[in-house]
Order: sequence, then C-alpha cells, then structure tokens
Amino acid sequence: MKKIWIALTLVLFILGCGTQNENLAKGKELIKSDKRRKEERAVREFKLALQQKTDSAEAHYLLGLYNSQEFYEPNTTDWEDASVTERGKHMFRAYQAEKRKYLERLVFETLRDDDLDIQNAALDALKRVYNQADQKQLLSQLQKAIKSSDNRDRHNAHWVFGHLGKDDPDTIVPILVKLLEHRRTETRLNAVKALGEAGSEAAIPALATLIESGAASSERDREEPEVRQLAVEALGKIGGNAVPELVKIVENKGSSLRVDAIRTLAVLGDAKVVEPLLDALKEQSNRDVVVPLN
Amino acid sequence: MIQKIKRFDERQCLPLILPVLVLIILTIGCGNQYYDERMQMRVQKLDSDLMNRWSMSGVVVTEITPNGPADKARLESGELISYVITEYPVKTVGDFNDGMKNGLDEDNNLVLYLKDKSPLRIALRRRGDDVGLSVEGSGTVRVKEVKPGTPAANSNIQVGDIVEKIVDERKIYSLDDYKKILAKLSKRQITFRTTELIGVKIAAVSALGDLGDVRAIEPLIDIFNNSTELSLRKASITSLQRLVELSDLNELFQQFQNTNVDQLPTDGLQAQQVESAAILGLLTVDLTENTATLEAPFGTQFRHRSEALYEKINEGQLAELAQQYIQIAVEPEQEIRRACLTILGILKPVSAIDALATVLDNSAEIPGIRFQAGLTLSQIGEPAVDALIAAFESGDTSTKDIAASALGGIGGAKARDRLIQALENTTEPAIQLTLVDAIAKIGDASSMQALERQRAQYQADEDSGIRIFLDEVFKNLEQKAM
Repeated sequence: MKKIWIALTLVLFILGCGTQNENLAKGKELIKSDKRRKEERAVREFKLALQQKTDSAEAHYLLGLYNSQEFYEPNTTDWEDASVTERGKHMFRAYQAEKRKYLERLVFETLRDDDLDIQNAALDALKRVYNQADQKQLLSQLQKAIKSSDNRDRHNAHWVFGHLGKDDPDTIVPILVKLLEHRRTETRLNAVKALGEAGSEAAIPALATLIESGAASSERDREEPEVRQLAVEALGKIGGNAVPELVKIVENKGSSLRVDAIRTLAVLGDAKVVEPLLDALKEQSNRDVVVPLN
Repeated sequence: MIQKIKRFDERQCLPLILPVLVLIILTIGCGNQYYDERMQMRVQKLDSDLMNRWSMSGVVVTEITPNGPADKARLESGELISYVITEYPVKTVGDFNDGMKNGLDEDNNLVLYLKDKSPLRIALRRRGDDVGLSVEGSGTVRVKEVKPGTPAANSNIQVGDIVEKIVDERKIYSLDDYKKILAKLSKRQITFRTTELIGVKIAAVSALGDLGDVRAIEPLIDIFNNSTELSLRKASITSLQRLVELSDLNELFQQFQNTNVDQLPTDGLQAQQVESAAILGLLTVDLTENTATLEAPFGTQFRHRSEALYEKINEGQLAELAQQYIQIAVEPEQEIRRACLTILGILKPVSAIDALATVLDNSAEIPGIRFQAGLTLSQIGEPAVDALIAAFESGDTSTKDIAASALGGIGGAKARDRLIQALENTTEPAIQLTLVDAIAKIGDASSMQALERQRAQYQADEDSGIRIFLDEVFKNLEQKAM
C-alpha cells in the first residue's frame, strides 16, 4: 500500500513538473527557433508560465529579457507591463527566487546585452537589489566585475557604480576611491569614470591627488596619463566645487592636463575661469633670454 | 606609495607613519622642484607626459626672486625652459679646442659659426669620434685641415674659413639635466631658450570664445593682430566670430534675463533667434509644451553676461578689425577672411560696404569668398544697394552674378527696377537666370509682371533655358500660393 502511495506521488510530481515547465519550455524553444515573431510568442508563454506559481524565477527573468513595448499598442496594460521598470521588477523577482544565480547573471551576463532596454532593465533590477535586498553581496559582485580582465564587465560595473553613486554617494564613493589603487589600469580608469558619473563632490580630493601624481618623481607613483585625463573629465562632470580644482590645473604651468582642464571648464561655462584663461594667454612666446654674468 | 600608507593606517600606527609621511612629502618636494641659487628662481619638473603628448621638454619657471639675475633678465614665471645655450668665442687655437670639447660633451652636438657662412650644426655619431677639423692662428683663427670622411668634411667647411664662435645648445629633458648644465656653466654667460605652450593658448582662446565673456574681446583682438603663430590667430578670430554670434542673440537672452527665468513660452520669442540659439545648443525648444528652456550650465549662465558682451561688440572696434582682414592681399589665410566676412554679416557696418564690394569684384579671390562678400552686402541691406548696382554694371560675369543675387536678397524698389532693366537688356544666358531668380525672390507685383513679359517673349522658343526656368519659377509660386 505504502509503495503505491509513493509511486502515485512520484507520478503526480513528474506530471506536475511537466505541466509546470511546459510553457516555459515552449517559450524557450520558440526563442531558439527562427519562427516569425518568436519573441512575442515566447513572451506569451512566459506569462502563462508565471501563472503556475511555483518555480517562476526563470520565467520572470525571461520576461525581463524578452518582453518589449514594441509588441503592444501604446498605453495598453500590456504595453505598460513591458516598460523597462516593469522588466526590471521581473528580473528582481528572479533574483529574489534564486539570489546567487541571478545576481551573477545580471552583473556578468544581462548587462552585456546589446539591447539598451535590457541593460536598463538590469540596472533597474540591480538598484532594487541595492535598496531592498543584499547590498553587500551586490557590491562585492560589482567589485569583482570592475576588477575583471574582461573590458565588458569593467565597463558595465562602472556604469552601475555611477548610477548607484548618484543615489548613495556616502557608500559608493569610498569604494570607488579605494579602487583607484587597484593594480589594473583599466580598473582604475573605470573607477575614475564612475566617480565622474556619480557626480559627488566627495570624490574631488581623490581625483585631485591622482591628477597631481603626474609630477611625482618616482614612476611607480605616477598615474597613467589616460587615467589622469579621465580624472579631469570626471571633475568636469562633478562641477560645482570641482571648478577651483580645474582652475588649479590650468594655472599649473608644468601640467600636461592644462588643455584638458581648459576644455572641461569651457563646457561648464563658469565666469570664474575667465581670469585664469586670460592669464594663460599672457604667457611668453618662444624666445631667447640672455642672463649676463654678474 | 599610497597603498603603503593606507596599509599602515589600517594597523593604526599613527606615530610611525607621521615621520614617514613627512619624509615622503619632503622627497617629492625635492624631486619636483629646485631652487637655483645662481639665477635666484625656482624651477619645476614637467608633468611626465607633457613631453609625450605635446612633444615638449624642459623645466618650468615657477617662482622668480625679485631683483635676482633671472628677474633682471626678464625671465617670467610660467616660462618653459627647453634649451640652455652658451657661446665660446674663438680667438685662439686653445679657445677652439676648449669650445669643441665642452660643446660636444654629453650631447655630441654643437653649432659652429664661420665668418660669412650660415651656422653649421656638427653632430657626432658616437662620443669621442673625430670631428675632423683642425685650426691655426691667433686673433683670427682659420681652418687648417678638414679630414675626409669626418662630420667636418660633410659640412661644407673649407680650409681657410674663419672660425668666429662655437655655440652649445643643450636640450633640457629633466631637472637633473638642468642642474648639471648650470653647474657646468657656472662661470659662463648663458641664454635660456623658452618654448611656448601653444596648445594651451589655443585651448584657452577657444574656451574664451565659448564662454561668451566680455573680458575676452580685447585680449583676443590683441592676439589676432600681433601673434606670429598662424594657428593662434585662426583660433582667436574663430573665437571672436563665436562671441559676435553669441552677442547677436542678446535680445533673446535679455527676455530671459529681464524676467529672471530660464524658461519662457516659445511663441513670445523671436523665431529666428530661438532657432539660432537652439543650433548653438544654448536652449531647447518643446513645441508641444510651447516652451523654450535655456540649457544648463552655459545657457543659464550666459544670460547674465549677454548684455555686456553685446554692448562691447557693438562699439565698432570689431567691425573695423574685420574690415581690415577681408582682402586677400592683406590676409592670405582664407579661413580668417571668411571669419571676418561672417562677423561683418552680423554687425552690418555701413562703413564696410566699399571694402566688401572690392572683395566681390576681385577676380584673384576664390569664388566662395567673393560670393560670401555678396551675401554680407545683402545682409547689410538697403545701404549697400548703390555699391552693388555699381559692381553689377562694371564687373565681370561672376561679379554681375553675385551682385544680382545680393540685390535680389535685399529687394526694394531701387534694386528691383535695376534688376528688371538689366533682365530686359541682357542676352547672356547665365546672367539672365540669376536675374530671374533674384527678381522672383523680390516677388512683388512689378517683379512678377516683368517675369511674365519675359515668359511671353520666350514663349515660342522650345529649348530656351530661360523659358524652362521661368516655367519652373511660376510653377513653384503657384504651388506656394495653394
């Protein structure tokens, strides 16, 4: 008797599994196929898969990935559900169901997608992770990405860092500043870019130190020119209290970044920079100066 | 190094890191800067990649002690010393040998001055190579022998040439170079050759054009008039042009400034100015919301500066400057002539009419610029009509062509009547077409009647270019009327 029960449960379970994944499997099959309007049809399957309650992480993730407003009439419910924010929510739900797997997937896979909407949806999901779930884990994954040997990961991580930094500079800026010491030039480069995009004035001293390192006597202490150049750009993005720092570069006759600083300042349009620029114009031209013997 | 400090910090060994920190700051300070006791000035090492990016080398003067030798020689803070030069006058064979030895030291390179010859640069491939030159005499030192196959033999030196002096130009790559050469020449008179950081100036000039600040005008004019550096002159006239273009939008910006807002309804603003400002990226227009919004940061800041800029630019100085440089005989650089014409087109000074007519009629000028001069005259408008009519009457075919379309652009009874009269008296097809086009542009009743008369006259001629063109003109007008 007991055996029959076990067998029956097993059969039901297997059947259950079958029906559970049927829509999902169908949708995935469609994506792989070369059928007409396959994404649209697959999305329909994923939505049905969601109705079966259990084990919907993948369905959520796939909806985040493939649902698109292009499929629907504007201002309908479906159209609104396919917005970047809604897709971000789906991705976040996938993360909630299977945290480790989908966090890694979002950072190292979804962000790499060519579709801007998908990138933005992933960003939205990651922001949700940051604000509502495991901030620490996310930051550790992002740091792993920005230190990666793959440029795509570094670039994507800087982008996310920049956005997170805009909302929460107190946490993000110190992390990025610490990354300025990383041994990989490209990592430092992306950290600098992220600091610019975060736009927080808290980053100014660190960027200034980095820029000034160009005149350090030991080569070891000198930051690469391209990183320093980007640091000037970052100061420009920060604006505000970064203006005096940029003016200082213009006034430093030995700096190789004067041109970059001048161009950055021109865009900021601040009248405070007119005087230093006029001073730069007064500098002497090529000439010979004879110093007689005393 | 930064990493090291951080690590200590983490272990909280403050008493230990403080002296280390002081030491580090001291070494950095020493490494970057150097106070030259003899010259009484401070020099600084160049940024490491200034040399790579701008091909510059040397040390920068950062501070000059008043009344010291550097100050007396009028060296200035901010100058980049790229060469230290010293001269060895040659009066005896000993002078010559000393000069050669010192001059070739380190860089294997010197400049030899022979009487009645241009300076000769002598370079050795390896240290200690034979220059191949010997001299004789006292008071007047002459070349005694030139050994074949040596650098001297390749330098057009003849036996009997009089050696006047040896000049050693030492290129400075680092602070160490500077210290070493100055120590070596401690008892000699020296010359510093400084290099202009031209890239910085060009960037500053362009930035000043973008900032739209009145204080930039005089210095830019000064550079344009006096710089020997063509790239700098081009940059400064381009910046002046930009400032004139910005000032031309003053009326628009004053509407924002007077109400002290950054957003206004578009329909209350002058459409053409809004369009120009949008092209320059100073504001964005939202037609559905009927708003024109100044773009931050520049647009919003510029409204405060616009009035002062406008006044200064319309004082007349700039119009006068631009007039001076539109003739090809005065200014060979066409980019500059074009910029000046653009400036005149905006400022519309009546005083420029004659000069513009000369450009228009100058067959040595490139067609594009002659045409631009015509356009500028039509921008000046009514006062330029007489000059254009005169140019039309006396000029070559190109002049006639340009003058006619400029007159069409201006319009008015006088221009119109002259154009119609010309059309009725010319048989030159190229001019006919321009005239028809110009008259159609004026487009009033008399113009249209004149064109009708022309059409009737050429009705019979199937292949007449002017008839086809007239048909086209009328068809376009009908379409417009519909």
